[in-house]
Amino acid sequence: MAPDTQSDTGATERFEDVEWDELGGLGFPRRTQALVVATVAYAAAVAYDLFVTDDAVLSGTNWLFVLTLLVGAFFVAWPLAENRRLTAYYWRRFKRNRAAVVSAAYLVVVFVVGTLGPLVLTEPELNILAAYQPPVYLSVDSAVPTTCVGQTADGLCHGTWQYPLGTTSDGKGIAKLVVFGMRVSMQVGLVTMLIVVSIGTAVGTSAAYFSGLVDELLMRYVDIQQTFPTFFLFLIVTYLFKPSLFLLITIFGFLGWGGIARLVRSEALQRREESYIRAAENAGASDGWIIRRHLMPNVSNTVITAATLLIPSFILFEATFAFLGLTDPATPSWGQVIASGRGDLDGAWWIATIPGVFLFFTVLAFNFVGDALRDALDPRSEGDA
Amino acid sequence: MPSDPLLSVRDLKKHYPITQGVLKKEVGRVKAVDGISFDVTPGETLGIVGESGCGKSTAAASLLRLEDPTGGAVVFDGDDITDYDDAGLKRFRRRAQMMFQDPSSSFDPRMSVGESVAEPLAIHGMRDRRRRRRIVENLLERVGLSASDFDRYPHEFSGGQKQRIALARALVLNPDLVVADEPVSALDVSIQAEIISLMRGLQAEFGLAIVFISHDLSVVREVCDRVAVMYLGEIVEIAETETLFDDPQHPYTRALISSIPTPDPARRDERVELSGDVPSPSNPPSGCRFHTRCPEVIPPEQFDLEQREWRHVLDLRLRIDKGIDVDDVRAFLVAEDVADAPEAVPDAAVERELRREFDVPDALSDRAAEETLSSGLSALVAGDLEQARRTLDEAFTTVCEREHPELERTASGSEPACHLATESVAIDPPANHD
Repeated sequence: MAPDTQSDTGATERFEDVEWDELGGLGFPRRTQALVVATVAYAAAVAYDLFVTDDAVLSGTNWLFVLTLLVGAFFVAWPLAENRRLTAYYWRRFKRNRAAVVSAAYLVVVFVVGTLGPLVLTEPELNILAAYQPPVYLSVDSAVPTTCVGQTADGLCHGTWQYPLGTTSDGKGIAKLVVFGMRVSMQVGLVTMLIVVSIGTAVGTSAAYFSGLVDELLMRYVDIQQTFPTFFLFLIVTYLFKPSLFLLITIFGFLGWGGIARLVRSEALQRREESYIRAAENAGASDGWIIRRHLMPNVSNTVITAATLLIPSFILFEATFAFLGLTDPATPSWGQVIASGRGDLDGAWWIATIPGVFLFFTVLAFNFVGDALRDALDPRSEGDA
Repeated sequence: MPSDPLLSVRDLKKHYPITQGVLKKEVGRVKAVDGISFDVTPGETLGIVGESGCGKSTAAASLLRLEDPTGGAVVFDGDDITDYDDAGLKRFRRRAQMMFQDPSSSFDPRMSVGESVAEPLAIHGMRDRRRRRRIVENLLERVGLSASDFDRYPHEFSGGQKQRIALARALVLNPDLVVADEPVSALDVSIQAEIISLMRGLQAEFGLAIVFISHDLSVVREVCDRVAVMYLGEIVEIAETETLFDDPQHPYTRALISSIPTPDPARRDERVELSGDVPSPSNPPSGCRFHTRCPEVIPPEQFDLEQREWRHVLDLRLRIDKGIDVDDVRAFLVAEDVADAPEAVPDAAVERELRREFDVPDALSDRAAEETLSSGLSALVAGDLEQARRTLDEAFTTVCEREHPELERTASGSEPACHLATESVAIDPPANHD
């Protein structure tokens, strides 16, 4: 047998034997092919929904949410699955932060339940007869609910499994409201984050890479946009049109990317000076190649960390607007439930408290995960055991 | 020259504009590289040495068109690369590669080293992922690593290993020319030797031409066939390595070579020390750029001054040209307890202090020179800076300051750009310049 068994991928091949003039032509990696297919399918589905059928298959917000999931699958999940060693390395570093692991698990639950739950469950219904029911295993003075669905004993109304987290003043089950609220929060947080991060990263890296006039134009525009009072714009637009989640997401998404763009630009300016960018230029790489293959992946630390910290702020924004009654009353959001329960804090404390607790933990969890990601994603900090 | 040059650099210039204000008005230029010319033949190693900041790295970047040159021509294999369009430039990139100084930043931390080495293959149209992998695994083994290192990340390697990988990346396109910008400067001496012998082996195998940029003369001596010495954006001497080290013609080369540490204690006294700082490339000195620091600067013919004496006088004169504040000297002397108040400091003491500061003796060995210097200094101390300048500039000037020397071949085979060297061969027939 020949001693040359070094390579496990077949016969060895030497670089000096390559016939360069034979190479060329088009060819794309699998991920790009799948991405093209997915994009075409998505565009076709949206076009069908918009122009062909009259009754909407999905709402605008839901289409955006589907897009966000697609982007997440192609640009986060796929690369992580492809580069297993790097993924394992990140995971080893991430799991050092226990609070973040617990938070991540909680967020996965919120995400899965919030995404799938509303597909299975029916919308919470008005039921005056079942108003003010306490959560299961808890009881309340039987004067509080008009009629007690569960058992009444010693003048106390006990909660039942029919309404595990109790009901609101109009008899909607809080458990269902929380599940539907999860979807709203996840949609607002993730979709807005996607819009903000895509535009911010594209603008930030382009400004840093091309510098000069491009940089000047883009960043001065950002300066102007940053002075724009998004809050008032949202008020005016909801006054003019029917308030909806879609409006909230698009307004905050398309006007809120300035901060990310600045952050990404300053990070990309540093990366631009690294020799590996020079090396790629020297190998003949185009501007687009360098931005996609080197600049963007290397600013992703900053972007991912900033994104995880942006999500809770968007969730809080939405909750605030819902609490103030500035959103679509038909959208079951946590902020809205909290608002509806604030008058009954004495008798029925659970109405405002339970969605409040979910809101609190969701925001907290994103912050923990963001911190841990920042520590885990920096490949330059060595000393990994 | 045995064969046609692969690379021929002619009068290459790279200037960086200094701008001011919102309108980016150009107020000056940093002449990082100011007219350098040299040839590199296939299979040859040309060294470029010089102090840091002399423009070596800018020269490297400009000759590969990583920076667009301000002027001059870079002819590679018959074509001027400064005229290339995008497609031509990409073809050129396949044949000319670069190795970088800092092994820690020359690899993308988010790519496995195998992907980094394979990247040029993908850029130049090799779509087959498995084929790229086969080639790179084979190459990694040939630079002394193992095929399984393909999937490891840059932070998992030592500096020396990373330079091996950098060499692999420079070679993977099978180039004709590699420009190595301080490839071993960041490494330990023992590792340096390994990388250098690896480079030499691969160079011999593939007939590579290498432009080797370094500030380390001992490394250059070991690696290069010919050496170009740069000072302040210009080449001051270019010669075969042996000739350059055995018989350096330019005073700056001599100073550089004498700065190599030597184990022979008897030779340590021969060290040439340069006075002053490197002038700014935004405002380089006139004539020979080295005249402000040259220990062998040519004295004026009418005086009979000792070389060291003349150097100090010229230093003093150049300082006065730049502007000197006599009041500061007075204040300094008050602090030294020479007098109670600046006004009370005697003029003679100021003159003495100026001479002391620049190591000029109290009386020069040449009477006429001493008279001129005294009258100049008196004018200066009396507050007439203009008069002092006129007197001194007229007398204490040198051909080195007035005329820019060109590279010229001397009898030793070296090509220095120095008036001293040209003077010595003035009687010979004109140097054969191709």
